[in-house]
Amino acid sequence: MGLIDHRFEDNFITTSIDRVLNWARESSIWPMGFGLACCAIEMMAASASRYDIARFGAEVFRASPRQSDLMIVAGTVTKKMAPVLRRLYDQMPEPKWVISMGSCSNAGGPFPTYSVLQGVDKVVPVDVYVSGCPPRPEALLYGLMRLQDKIRKEGTTLRKERTIMFGDTEPTLNSERA
Amino acid sequence: MIWRFIKSLFLIDLMKGMWLTLKYTPQPAFTFQYPAERRPTAPRFRGVLRLQTEPATGAQTCIVCDQCAKACPDDLIALGGHREPGQKIKILDYFDFNLSRCSFCGLCAEVCPTKPIKALIMSEDYELGSYNRDTQILRVDQMYDGVPIEQYTR
Repeated sequence: MGLIDHRFEDNFITTSIDRVLNWARESSIWPMGFGLACCAIEMMAASASRYDIARFGAEVFRASPRQSDLMIVAGTVTKKMAPVLRRLYDQMPEPKWVISMGSCSNAGGPFPTYSVLQGVDKVVPVDVYVSGCPPRPEALLYGLMRLQDKIRKEGTTLRKERTIMFGDTEPTLNSERA
Repeated sequence: MIWRFIKSLFLIDLMKGMWLTLKYTPQPAFTFQYPAERRPTAPRFRGVLRLQTEPATGAQTCIVCDQCAKACPDDLIALGGHREPGQKIKILDYFDFNLSRCSFCGLCAEVCPTKPIKALIMSEDYELGSYNRDTQILRVDQMYDGVPIEQYTR
C-alpha cells in the first residue's frame, strides 16, 4: 500500500515483488513507544541489551507516530486514554500493525470497571494479542515473530479490510455445555 | 597550564575513555539469543495454567471439585463432569479457561487439592500469542501439560 498504489494503470499484477516488500517490512518494524502501565517495563526490558529487540529490526522506538509502523499497546487502556490511542493510530502511516500486550489491553484484565476499556480491539484493529500479566520479554519477542509471520503471508497490494468488532467482543465460557 | 596543554594535545582523556571501552570488547555478548536458547525460568515462575495427568498411565487426576473456579477472582474457569457407574472419580467433560483476562495470580493452582500429582499447575509456558480473541479461550484438549504451543514459521 502506498508505495505502488496508483503508480501504474489498471490490471497490474505484482508477483515476486510481494516477497521483497514483505521481507523489507517484516525486518524493520519500528514500534512506537506507547507504554501505559507495568507492561511497558517489560517492553523496555525487551529493548534493552539482555533481550535485544534489535535482533528483529525493531529497536527504534520512535517518539512520533508518523515515523512508526507498529503500535505496542502495553498496559491498561482507560476510557480517557482511548481517544488519544485512536488518534495516534490514525496518525501512523499506512503499513501499520498493532500488538496488544498483556491481559489489560487484551480484554481489560482484572478491571471490569466503568473506567477501563474492555479490550483495546474496541478502538483499534489488533493484529497479535500477547497474553501474560505482564508478558515476559521473550513473550513479547514471540508476539513480534508471530506478527512477522503475519506480514510475510499478507499481500502487498491486497490487504484485508481491518475492522473493529462492535458490541461485546469477549468470548464467553461454555458453561452450559454437556 | 603546560600539563593541560599536553593533555588536550595528545587526547589523554579520550584515550582513557577508549581504553575503558576496549576492555569490555572481548567479553562475550550479554544477550540471550531468544528463539535459539530459552532462559530457564525461576522455580516459582507462574506461566499459563495447565492440567496434569498421571505420568505413568495418563489417567485423569482432576476430581472436578470446582474449587479452582470458585477461587478465581475474575471467574475465568468453567469446568464440569459426570459420574460413570463403577468409577470412583468424576469424568472431566469440559474445562474452559479464559486466558485473555488471566492475571496469573496462581490462586486456582494453590487451592487444587489433588495429591500426589497436582491436577492444576502453573506451568512454565509463557509464549502465548494469538491472532484473535476467540482462540484465547483454552479448551480442555489445549489445557493438558505438554501440548505444543503454536510456533512461528521461521
